[in-house]
Amino acid sequence: MSTCVELNQLRFSWPGAQSPLLSIPNLSLQRGERVLLRGASGSGKSTLLSLIAGIHTTGKGQVQVLGHDLACLTQRQRDRLRANDIGYIFQQFNLLPYLSAHANVVLASQFSPARRQRLGQQSVDLAAQALLERLGLSARQQQQPAHQLSVGQQQRVAAARALLGSPALIIADEPTSALDQEHRDGFIQLLFEVCEQQNTTLLFVTHDATLAPLFPRTLELSAINHAPSSSEGQHV
Amino acid sequence: MFKLALASLWNRRGSVWLTMVAIAISTLLLLGVERIRVQTQENFANTISGTDLIVGARTGSTELLLSSVFHIGNLSNTLSWQSYQHLRELPGVSWHIPMAMGDSVQGLPVVATTDALFDYFQYGNKRHLAFAAGDHFASSDTLTVAVLGYEAAQQLQLNVEDSLTIAHGTGEISFSQHDAHPFTVVGVLARTGTPIDRSVFVPLAAQGLVHGDYLPEDTSGAHDHDHQHDEHNHDHDGADEDHAETPPVYTLSAVLLGLENRALALRLQRTINTYKGEALSAIMPGLALQNFWRTLNLFEKALMSISVLVVITGLLGMLTTLLASLRERRREMAVLRSIGAGPVTILGLLVLEALLVTLAGITLGTVALFGVLFLGTDLLQAKLGIQVAASWLTGRELYLLGAILVAATLLSFYPAWRAYKNALADGLTVKL
Repeated sequence: MSTCVELNQLRFSWPGAQSPLLSIPNLSLQRGERVLLRGASGSGKSTLLSLIAGIHTTGKGQVQVLGHDLACLTQRQRDRLRANDIGYIFQQFNLLPYLSAHANVVLASQFSPARRQRLGQQSVDLAAQALLERLGLSARQQQQPAHQLSVGQQQRVAAARALLGSPALIIADEPTSALDQEHRDGFIQLLFEVCEQQNTTLLFVTHDATLAPLFPRTLELSAINHAPSSSEGQHV
Repeated sequence: MFKLALASLWNRRGSVWLTMVAIAISTLLLLGVERIRVQTQENFANTISGTDLIVGARTGSTELLLSSVFHIGNLSNTLSWQSYQHLRELPGVSWHIPMAMGDSVQGLPVVATTDALFDYFQYGNKRHLAFAAGDHFASSDTLTVAVLGYEAAQQLQLNVEDSLTIAHGTGEISFSQHDAHPFTVVGVLARTGTPIDRSVFVPLAAQGLVHGDYLPEDTSGAHDHDHQHDEHNHDHDGADEDHAETPPVYTLSAVLLGLENRALALRLQRTINTYKGEALSAIMPGLALQNFWRTLNLFEKALMSISVLVVITGLLGMLTTLLASLRERRREMAVLRSIGAGPVTILGLLVLEALLVTLAGITLGTVALFGVLFLGTDLLQAKLGIQVAASWLTGRELYLLGAILVAATLLSFYPAWRAYKNALADGLTVKL
């Protein structure tokens, strides 16, 4: 099993901050693994995710995604890596409200030739349709503007967009916090199924400890993060 | 990306629509002003053609031009009948139109002339005057006849065979009416788009009659300005066969001359300017029109700068709308970033949006311009006297449109750059 994400001696602090927000000696996620990362609000979860997604770069240490050292890549190369190999699901407001659900899903692959290539002979339109159907959106719902869908439906569309074209890594930033428990478990179940089928690594971040039993591997951010101030919480 | 920009604009169609309308209106104004400017200049240059020299008493060229071609103002100096006789005898003169001004009908200028006007006068692209109804002076046996310009006939609500009274002087309200001599309309000219339309033409002899020039002794004393009898009049020798012994009038305001050969104009101008019998000046209408137009340059420039300012206002409106929308669109930008759009893509998206809005605004403005031109030509002509043709966009107009587009694109780089910075700073976490 190959490594998907590897952090080495990672230290990160926001400009102007006195002490580092993150200090992670080592963390590695294997290909196809489904990992829950738990941490309190403001403990630096989102920052860690944006480092892995290549939005921000580290001052010190190494972030490797699919064998690429992000510090060695240019901004453009990181954007391309993210477009091709990383699916990102937000807590909420994942979709462009003025596009239909279907168009939202297709949009991601428009930025990524690699995703389109991985779909092979299948057209992007059809693949998006099939994936959305599998996640429980009817053909009619797929054509509705995203803002007319329920929050649960929106999150499933977001998942479909992240998953289309089989990226190697899915980063989910509290995707279920806007859902009730029933929808939440169903959503995670669906996510697992598709990830397994596509051999996609899932990094699922939440503050909700009750999700832990669903995941094969659970990490506590406070345990892996050795930054001194992290346990005291952030200035709100 | 194009579709994305369109969809995003559609999502904000309320404010986008307003921005577009603002740009459309400023475009309409800019093009409209430009068009009126060009057309006015054209109409202006079209008021007279084919005439090689205009001769009057010694005066400024603009003054002579205004009174002889535009029938505006009053020449204080006149040239004598004798000088006119000398002029038409000059070698190379193929036709001549004498003109005497000074009277009016309800504010419309009365031009005393001969039938030569209808035969030789040309305007625009060498077009001759045409009659919409009736015929020229000689078609009637009576002396006191009048031919009306198209608009003059409409304004006075007169037609062929109606009668009218001419007032002394050029004011709208005159206390001295020549009501002893009513005139009969014998002809109405077709529309020309020149000052001819607003003029009333009478034969020279009729003017002489009402002013008493035709009588051996002028006794009224009330008429003093346009027929001062200078000594030359009395030297008149009656050598002209066409006009018998007595001249119809003693003095003329101007004479239009047509030459056999255009190249003679310069030489003849010199000859006339140095004429010993009387101080005369001869002007070439084309040159004089150009000089006169140059003096109007200031108004033209003022009009143009106002419309340029309106365009700038329109574009600033767009800038404001774009900047204001950035805040509410940070989430949208973050989503785009998360699926792999680079900051440059986001910059491009905003510039593209501005380009689309401006393009739509410009198109709308141009369409509106043609709408106004097609529907409103008659109204503009009737109410404002502005003649504007609905012709296809000229090179200069396209250049103006291009300038708006380029300015809008350059301006849009500011909000685009802001969005770019936001995208870099926010990353995927937007704190709203």
